[in-house]
Amino acid sequence: MKTACRFGVVLGLAVLILGARVTVAQEAVETFRQSCISCHTIGGGRLVGPDLKNVEERQDREWLASFILDPLGVINSGDPYAVKLREEAGGALMTTIPGMSRSQAEALLDLIAAESLLETSEFAGLDLGDEPFTALDIERGEEIFMGRRKLANGGPACLSCHTVGGLPELSGGTLGPDLSRVFERLQGRKNLASWLLAPATETMRPVFAGRAMTQDEIVPLVAFFEDAAQQRSEDGGTSRLLFLLLGLGGAAFGFLLADGIWRGRFRGVRQELVGNRR
Amino acid sequence: MDVRSQVSMVFHLDKCIGCHTCSIACKNVWTDRQGTEYMWWNNVETKPGTGFPTAWEDQEKYQGGWELKKGELKLKSTGPAKVMANIFHNPHQPSMDDYYEPWTYDYETLFDAPEGDDQPVARPVSRVTGEYMEVEAGPNWDDDLGGSEIYAANDPNLDALTEEQRQQLSAVERLVMFYFPRICNHCLNPSCVASCPSGALYKRGEDGIVLIDQKRCRAWRSCIAACPYKKTYYNWQTGKSEKCILCYPRLETGQAPACFHSCVGRIRYLGVLLYDAERIEEVAKLPDDEIVEGQRSMILDPRDPEVVAAAKANGIPDDVIESACKSPVYRFVKEWKIALPPHLEFRTLPMLFYVPPMSPVMAGKDGDSVYHLTDNNLFHDIDQSRVPISYLAKLLGAGNEGLVRYALRKQKAVRLYRRALTVGDVDDASAARALREADCTVEEAEAIYRLTTLCTFDDRFVIPPMHREEAIQMIEEPHGHRQSVGFGFTAGPKRGL
Repeated sequence: MKTACRFGVVLGLAVLILGARVTVAQEAVETFRQSCISCHTIGGGRLVGPDLKNVEERQDREWLASFILDPLGVINSGDPYAVKLREEAGGALMTTIPGMSRSQAEALLDLIAAESLLETSEFAGLDLGDEPFTALDIERGEEIFMGRRKLANGGPACLSCHTVGGLPELSGGTLGPDLSRVFERLQGRKNLASWLLAPATETMRPVFAGRAMTQDEIVPLVAFFEDAAQQRSEDGGTSRLLFLLLGLGGAAFGFLLADGIWRGRFRGVRQELVGNRR
Repeated sequence: MDVRSQVSMVFHLDKCIGCHTCSIACKNVWTDRQGTEYMWWNNVETKPGTGFPTAWEDQEKYQGGWELKKGELKLKSTGPAKVMANIFHNPHQPSMDDYYEPWTYDYETLFDAPEGDDQPVARPVSRVTGEYMEVEAGPNWDDDLGGSEIYAANDPNLDALTEEQRQQLSAVERLVMFYFPRICNHCLNPSCVASCPSGALYKRGEDGIVLIDQKRCRAWRSCIAACPYKKTYYNWQTGKSEKCILCYPRLETGQAPACFHSCVGRIRYLGVLLYDAERIEEVAKLPDDEIVEGQRSMILDPRDPEVVAAAKANGIPDDVIESACKSPVYRFVKEWKIALPPHLEFRTLPMLFYVPPMSPVMAGKDGDSVYHLTDNNLFHDIDQSRVPISYLAKLLGAGNEGLVRYALRKQKAVRLYRRALTVGDVDDASAARALREADCTVEEAEAIYRLTTLCTFDDRFVIPPMHREEAIQMIEEPHGHRQSVGFGFTAGPKRGL
C-alpha cells in the first residue's frame, strides 16, 4: 500500500514535470517560429542573421542566453564577438522578444541544440531557387499586395500599411516603409521569404501572430517584390503635401456643409435685437 | 382620482413695486457661488420688456415647453431623432450674451489711483474671465423701460396687440409698465424633467418641488432648452445645472422661502393645493381656450369628503390636508378665480399663479386742475386699461381675455366696495352693482380685501408640515453636515460623477 502510494506520487510528479517540459518545449517552438525564423535558419544557411546550427560550438550557453535577452547591451559592452555579428548582419540589430525570460531563452537554446542534431530541421528556411519567376507569380503577388486576393490565414493586405512604387495617388499606407526596394534591402529571395514567414518587427509581429502567411502566398509576394525592385521607381503612393492639402480641403468642406445644413441654428437673441437697430 | 399635494404660489402683481429685494435675498442665499453668478433663480422683469434671458417667451427661438402634434404632447426642444443629432451640443440654449456676462467692479482704483485731473472710476471686471469688460447688458437691463426702447418693443407678448395699441403703448402720456417677478413654477407637467437624458430632474412626491439631483446631472443641458420659462441654469464651475429649489430646506423647517419672506410689497402667497394627477395629460392636451379652466378644474377642494378619502388613500398626511384647507393659493386661484398661470400655452401646467395688475388710473391736467379721464371719475373702465387686456391675456391667460377681464373686474369691484365703506364717495348701490357684475359677494370682497391688504405672515404663508421624519433616510447624517453645506443634500455640488 505504502509503496503503491509512493509510486503514485512519483508518477504524478513525473507527469507534471514532463508535462511542464513538453509545454516549455512547445512554447519555444512557437517563439522560434514567430520571432526567429525571419532572420535565422537552423542548417539552412545565413539570412540576415547567422545560421544557428550548432551555435553552441561557437559561443557558450551563458553568453548566448544573455545575447538573446539583451543584444544591444552585449554589443554596447564592447564584446568583440557581438560587434562582429552586427557587422556581418550589415548593421541590423537583433530585436528583443517582449516578455522573454532567462528560462525561455534556455528553452530556445535547447530547441536549437535538438534541431541541430537532425538531418534537416523544420527551420531550415525556404529555398526558392534561382529560376526567374513567371509573370503569373508576379501578377498574383500584386493581387496579394493590393488586397484583391485575401490572405488565407486572415492577415491584413500589405497595402494597409505599405506602399510600393507606381501606385496611384492616395493608395498605399505610410505606417510601414516603402517596399519598392525591399528585395534589395533584405538581400535576395531567401531572406525576404524567411522574413515573410514570420515578420518580426514590433509592429508586424502582433499583426501576423497566429495569421502567418502560407508558402503559396510568400512565393508570389517575393516574385512581386523582386519585380518591383527591378521595374518600379521608389516614389510610391501618396505625396505628403497632396495628402495634407486634401485633408485641409476636406475639413473646410465639412465645416461649410455643416454650416449650410444648420443654417437656421440658434445664434443668440439679444445681439440680434440690439445689432439690428445699430 | 390620484390626489397629490403641491406647494403652490400666488404673486399679486398689483402689489409688486419692482424693488428686486426677492432677487437679492435669493442671490445671497443660493447663487453667490462661483459658476452661479449669472443665475437669478428669482428675477423681476419690467413688462413690457424682453425679460431675462432676453426674449425668453419666444419659443420659436428657444424651443421650450410642449407642443401638440397629432394629438400627442411632444417636447419642442428634443425628441428621439433630435437627441441623437444634438448629442454633443444642445443648440437652443440662451448664450451668455442672452443672459449677461456677470461682473463686479475694480473698487481698488478708487483708493489707489495716482493723483490726476479726473476722478478715479471703478471699472467693471468680468466675473467669468476676470478681465476688464464693457457692460452691454444685465439681468434687468430694461428695468423700468430703461436700457433702450428696443427691449420693450420686442416683448413677445406684444404680438397679441394691434398696431394701433402698440403705438399707443409707447406714446408718452399712455406709457405704462408693471413688474413681473419670476421663480421656477414647479410645474405639474415639467418639460425640464421630461427632457433630462440622465433622469436627474425629479418632482418631489410630497410637495411637488422640482429639483435637479446634483449627483446624477451629466450636463446635457436638455432642461435648459426644454424649460420654456428658462428657469434652469447651467453652472459652469460644477458642470451641473441648477434651479430654484423653492428653499425646501426653509420650507422643511416651517419658514417661507427667502424671496417670499423678504418681499417688501407682500405680494407673495404660498400654500398647498391638492390636485388630481390622473388628469395631467388630459388637461395638458386641451386647446388654448380651455386649458386655463382645465387646470383650475384639476385643483381639488380639500373639504370635499371624497377628495379627503382619496388623499388619505394616497398617503397624504392629515395635517397636509388640513393645511390645504387654509391655503391662500386655493382661495385666489379656485374660489375667487383672480389668479392666473403664466403662459399656460407652453403646456407645462405651472403652479405659480399671478393676480393680474390694475393699470394706473388715467388723469389729465387742465391748467392747474387735475381731472380724471374716465367716466365715473374714479376708476377707468377695465377695457380702457393702459395695459391692453389682450397683452395680459397673452401673458397670463393663454390668450383668454375673458379670464383676465374677470380677474380685473373683481379687483375693481373690491376697490369700489371698500371705497364706499371707508371714503364714502362711492354710493353703496353702485358698489353693490359693481360687485354683482363682477360675480363677487360682499363676504368674498371682504375676504379678498383682507388677504390682499391686511395679510399677516401666517395668512400669506401657510406652509404644510413637510414630515421630514418620513424621509430621514435621504439625509443620513444631517448633524454631521449641519452648517457646513448650503446647496446640495449632504455634500456641496462639485464637478464629476
